[in-house]
Amino acid sequence: MSDATQASPDTDRLVPVTVLTGFLGAGKTTLLNHILTAEHGRKYAVVVNEFGELGVDNDLVVDADEEVFEMNNGCICCTVRGDLIRILGNLMKRRGKFDGIIVETTGLADPAPVAQTFFVDEDVRGKTRLDAVVTVVDAYNVLQTLNESPEAVNQIAFADVIILNKTDLVDEVALATIESRIRAINGVARLHRAQRGDVPLSDVLDQGGFDLQRALQQAPRFLEESEHHHEEDVTSMSFVVEEPLDGAKFQAWIGALLQEKGADILRAKGILNYAGESQRFAFQAVHMMADGGFIGPWKKGEKPESRLVFIGRNLNRPQLRRGFESCRAK
Amino acid sequence: MNEAAPVSLLERRGATRTLDAHVTGCAISRDSQQVAFVTGKGDIIVAPRADWGQADAWQVTTVHDGAVLSVAADAAPGGFLTGGDDNTLRRIAADGTVSELVRGRRWVEHVATWASPKDATKGGVIAFVAGRQVELRDASGETTLKTLDHPSTVSGITFDAKGKRIAASHYNGATMWFVHAKVDTPRQLEWKGSHIGVVIHPEGEALVTSMQESELHGWRLSDGHNMRMSGYPAKVASMAFTRNGKWLVTSGADVVVMWPFFGGGPMGKAPAELGGVPGVICTRVATHPVHDIVAAGFADGTVLLADTTAQKILPVCTAGGGPISALAFSDDGCALAFGTEEGRIAIVDLSAR
Repeated sequence: MSDATQASPDTDRLVPVTVLTGFLGAGKTTLLNHILTAEHGRKYAVVVNEFGELGVDNDLVVDADEEVFEMNNGCICCTVRGDLIRILGNLMKRRGKFDGIIVETTGLADPAPVAQTFFVDEDVRGKTRLDAVVTVVDAYNVLQTLNESPEAVNQIAFADVIILNKTDLVDEVALATIESRIRAINGVARLHRAQRGDVPLSDVLDQGGFDLQRALQQAPRFLEESEHHHEEDVTSMSFVVEEPLDGAKFQAWIGALLQEKGADILRAKGILNYAGESQRFAFQAVHMMADGGFIGPWKKGEKPESRLVFIGRNLNRPQLRRGFESCRAK
Repeated sequence: MNEAAPVSLLERRGATRTLDAHVTGCAISRDSQQVAFVTGKGDIIVAPRADWGQADAWQVTTVHDGAVLSVAADAAPGGFLTGGDDNTLRRIAADGTVSELVRGRRWVEHVATWASPKDATKGGVIAFVAGRQVELRDASGETTLKTLDHPSTVSGITFDAKGKRIAASHYNGATMWFVHAKVDTPRQLEWKGSHIGVVIHPEGEALVTSMQESELHGWRLSDGHNMRMSGYPAKVASMAFTRNGKWLVTSGADVVVMWPFFGGGPMGKAPAELGGVPGVICTRVATHPVHDIVAAGFADGTVLLADTTAQKILPVCTAGGGPISALAFSDDGCALAFGTEEGRIAIVDLSAR
């Protein structure tokens, strides 16, 4: 009896939600209209938060206020978008009228509360899944914006997909500089160049950015250590341990780490090889919110090693490495 | 269960039908002559009393271009008001005529009405929510009495029993307003966090909100004393005081949880638990207007009636048809109506035969 309603929802049934961030003028609405008008035969519900200069070309547009609140769950950085909980809940009652939901945030929005909403709310989790955070970046202004605005840095750090837009306005040398700057902040996201938001939909939709099954599917692309922009406020760091890990030790270490440094760790992802386990263990976290689970055996030709990526502020590389290595099974 | 399961109350005294839509609410008109269900597809299904036993006779009308988000009995003796995600408030009169009362820029997520229990034709008030505003109109629905602003989106509204005050829940607490005051001096009830629903004690002793963190918060209205009621495994999506205000009946657990509002409670008192389905969350509750009876609906489609004094349980229907998403008694106590996320709708005739 009890499993009739408590069975965990299979991900196929869950409606994918794509979060579109980016500074004002980066080209979010252009990209959004490109997605909506493309010939894909799919219908989207769109949640918008600011009336930009451009209208959104869609049947179902929901005008929302970004209403963030702090959960009273003892977790200092756990902020959540209450308006999204309400809107997604109501949209799901329409059932069958659309294939996905796109949430456009304001230019200055921090993506963390949106992502955390999907970790925290049982009703949201029961009916929808966060597919990816897509950040649109204006190639012409991005370097200046990154110097002036921590919000812009957060949006890049948080992204699963970065659309480097308006590439026709800068030359190849400048693009290379921009891309290396972006990579220094976020070495995991997929980076695509675009002009007027003209990216293939397969680069934006169905990315599985928060899907444990697809965690670290793409190998992180980091710059060589020596090339690092050491002035960068937010950075990505990846670690590999070749020997099998002690699952309990890892859980204890990562739990304590997120508790202590969760405010600084924007995102973390890992694929882990636990001693005595034939299956891979996948792990992900947004600040202090984490989830993990076994995702099937190692693929043929895949080296069974443990990989972990952190994106955040004030990351201490030697300390993180020592911590991760101390999780080795004896 | 015994060897031969007894025929359920629904089979003996009810009628049921399945729609291809999420049932988002149900309401029964003030004169208890019509039951209405509303859906995520924009339809209202109205069943006049004579047809309560014949589900195929219930009339389906499309009232919104999108989902119906809220429904309430009209302030008039017959008919209903509905709010939709097409940003409109509509009236379905007792004769079935549909009219548009409001077309705004926000979803109409909540509708509430008040009418004098003695004479429903006089002095009624209509309230609806659009974003951060609650608008009050007279019973005609044509004249705006006032518009009440709140600091964040309003998540629930309720009139007190006398129709003198209206309360709205929102971020960081609730606000109480006097409906007919010439100058508004709202009472702010503050508590940090997201409040997602509100009820007022029938004697005006307390106001209780449901919170995002799966707990209730209350304020004793005489002195503003705070009350916390916690321990739920799920959010409390539905709550109601019993007719005399002795118990606050709530969903959110795999039993019906009732907080005592007598003998100094709920402070320092454990809640009573009334029946349930092991491992299945209660999703909707309703309280009977005449007797000490509670109705509860569960996530597996089970509906039961329980006597709060004798702790007796009477099954209305067993599992099936999806999570209960709507549940209501008629004002005369003769009908129980319910609906599910998967489109099952049902009316049970409780009148003496």
